[in-house]
Amino acid sequence: MAALTSITTKAAGKPAMSAERRKRETRAAWLFLAPDAIGLLVFVAIPMVFALALSLFDVDGFGNYRWIGLDNFHRMLSDPMLGRAIGVTVKYVVLFVPLSFAFGLGLALLVWNKFPGVGMVRTLLFLPNALSLVVIGLLWQFLLVDKQGVLTKMGRPFGLGDVSFLGDPKWALPTYVLISVWYSMGYQMLLFLAGLNDIDGEHLDAARVDGAGAWQRFRHVIWPLLGPTSFFVLITSLVASVTGLQAFDLVYVLTKGGPDNQTSTIVFYIYQQAFSFGHFGYAAAITVMLVLFLVIVTAALFKVTGGGRLHAR
Amino acid sequence: MTTPATGQQSTSPRPVLTRRALLGAGLGLGAAAALSACGSDDPNDLSFWNFYGPSPTPSTTSDWFKSVTDEWNRNNDVKVRPRFIAGSAYLNGNTLQTAFSAGSGPDIFLISPGDFLRYQNGGALLDLTPYLPEGAREDYVKGALDTRTVDGKVYALPMEIEPLVVYYDKRAFEQAHLAESDLPRTWDQFLDVGTKLTNRNRFGALFETLPGYYQNFVWYPFLWQGGGGAVADGKSIFDSEAARGALGFWRETQRRGIAPKAALGGGSGDTPSNLAVGYCAMQQSGIWAVADLKTQVPKFEYGIFPLPIPEGGKQVTDGGGWAFAVNARGKNPEAAARFVSWALASTDAAGIDRARRWNTVAKTNLPPRTSVRKAAEAKGDFTSGVLKTFATSIAPTLRSEPRYPPEVYKAISDAIQSTQLSGNAPAGAARQASDVIDNFLLTYRGGSIL
Repeated sequence: MAALTSITTKAAGKPAMSAERRKRETRAAWLFLAPDAIGLLVFVAIPMVFALALSLFDVDGFGNYRWIGLDNFHRMLSDPMLGRAIGVTVKYVVLFVPLSFAFGLGLALLVWNKFPGVGMVRTLLFLPNALSLVVIGLLWQFLLVDKQGVLTKMGRPFGLGDVSFLGDPKWALPTYVLISVWYSMGYQMLLFLAGLNDIDGEHLDAARVDGAGAWQRFRHVIWPLLGPTSFFVLITSLVASVTGLQAFDLVYVLTKGGPDNQTSTIVFYIYQQAFSFGHFGYAAAITVMLVLFLVIVTAALFKVTGGGRLHAR
Repeated sequence: MTTPATGQQSTSPRPVLTRRALLGAGLGLGAAAALSACGSDDPNDLSFWNFYGPSPTPSTTSDWFKSVTDEWNRNNDVKVRPRFIAGSAYLNGNTLQTAFSAGSGPDIFLISPGDFLRYQNGGALLDLTPYLPEGAREDYVKGALDTRTVDGKVYALPMEIEPLVVYYDKRAFEQAHLAESDLPRTWDQFLDVGTKLTNRNRFGALFETLPGYYQNFVWYPFLWQGGGGAVADGKSIFDSEAARGALGFWRETQRRGIAPKAALGGGSGDTPSNLAVGYCAMQQSGIWAVADLKTQVPKFEYGIFPLPIPEGGKQVTDGGGWAFAVNARGKNPEAAARFVSWALASTDAAGIDRARRWNTVAKTNLPPRTSVRKAAEAKGDFTSGVLKTFATSIAPTLRSEPRYPPEVYKAISDAIQSTQLSGNAPAGAARQASDVIDNFLLTYRGGSIL
């Protein structure tokens, strides 16, 4: 403390120099922040404004623009394929979000305790997330191909030998969900692990002394204290399942939106409208509505849960 | 260097990477990346986008593109610089469209019939007619230019014709005690033979299952065999007996379990990854498979036969193929058009030989020009084996790949997927597709739909 006082006194003795340094520090901070800020501005904020403007035009992708006001938004109301894409996305979200949450949390609890080789196990569980989604798509295509896929053959004793996991409309979406969960659970495990490591061990020790079993410790100590982490995982997995990489890249590689449009998510549909059909204005209009929806849902979740601090209310 | 709190001179050595150096390096890298992303604005430096890039293994197609551009560059002030786009990104991706949307499309590029109308209606294609040598149009075989022509003007020059047939595995036929006389000619025979060829590890037949332009392309012949079509006189004619029959035929291959719902490798156009590895015994594919099988699995024994037809139907196949096109808003459209015309439509001996080498040496195609076909025959290129069958039996049944707008293609694609993979009734699917097409045609303005 004495040393600190000494330092403070010396610094206070040279106010002009300190102000100059503070200015330089501030300038340096802005410069270091600039790449990220410029990136966000150029690649997120400005495109969002452009998308909003684009949604009011008929745009064919060859430099031809025609003002049509809100026609693109009206068109959405009578587009059955958009309704179908929304249906696919809702099913995907309903399956993916809770499953990836449960697997991520379960794995984090499993590898929370130290045991020999825990680092290797954590790395292996996270590994799928470090791979390219295109590689993952090709890998699963190979494993699940009709009749000859390794996993298809393993399913024979269970009557699944004739199932086309990626080609049958009944199976394609659940298969796509499971592959997505496999891909993302390692990342979510890491997030939960960070949350678990933040829990003060004294709370758990106290619960243990009070005779709480494993389930009671989880239910009454870990779960409430993981609230903010759970909320973060929930929000990010919700957004990722609607607009994230796996909502497009995996679909593109695995099924091209088929079979029979059963994996045509809303993001894939937007891509088709823009780049396959040349309806850039319409694609922008759907994007605007999608972003609005996500902003509203996220804000509502923040409001209702207080940022995941339900237990603190 | 001073420490912030004390103002004392630091005794620690100056770090190798200072904050200033880090910022400078970051800005430098950013600038370098931005500059490298910029293309050339030089009107004498034309970009030519294609998907026949150099490969680690010898590539006859890549060699042809290089030799053609090299030859042009040796003799002209305006240089043509090939830029290779990965096949998956070019065929199904957004690379080309994104470039056009950004106003920086290539000067010369390859275009498929499926994309033709969208680009033509968008004003992206230059009229090549004034640049064609005398007699060049007449040299193209009947129908070859039709789907690249609008109001009598040619907007793209086809480089090849790629007809579809069925390839079959001779050993699988022998194992199933089937002889050449058992090769199916009708849909019913095809289903029966396919059933006999199906076993625990192998499918009897393979048709495309992934939705997209390619699936439509390979399905159209079955629609045409019964006299069907999609659009005539500005109205949908899709809801027909022919369409219901063709949809029902593909559905039946699934109901009987003789065809997979998902293919290996690159899909039903990829014979080395499917037919040659025993995934299926019969596979619908194009003439390109002759070269694929020869280079990748030279010992594989196979044969071909024409697409099966319905009882009372007519023999017809789809003649796909890519074309060279010129960006009307490119840096130097006139020079680009002169290059395209020289590369593919020259009527002198060198030009004919250049086109022959693409169609019979670099790839296996049917040449779209009469003079080139004759030159190939003179070289003995179509005098034996399966290529002879293509030239003598398949060529007369050719019909050009249609140039339906995306909305028409998508309506038909949905009907195919719905019946083939979900097993829905062909009648309902055909009616629904027809309604969608009619709805679209009400507001369609653009080149005629062929």
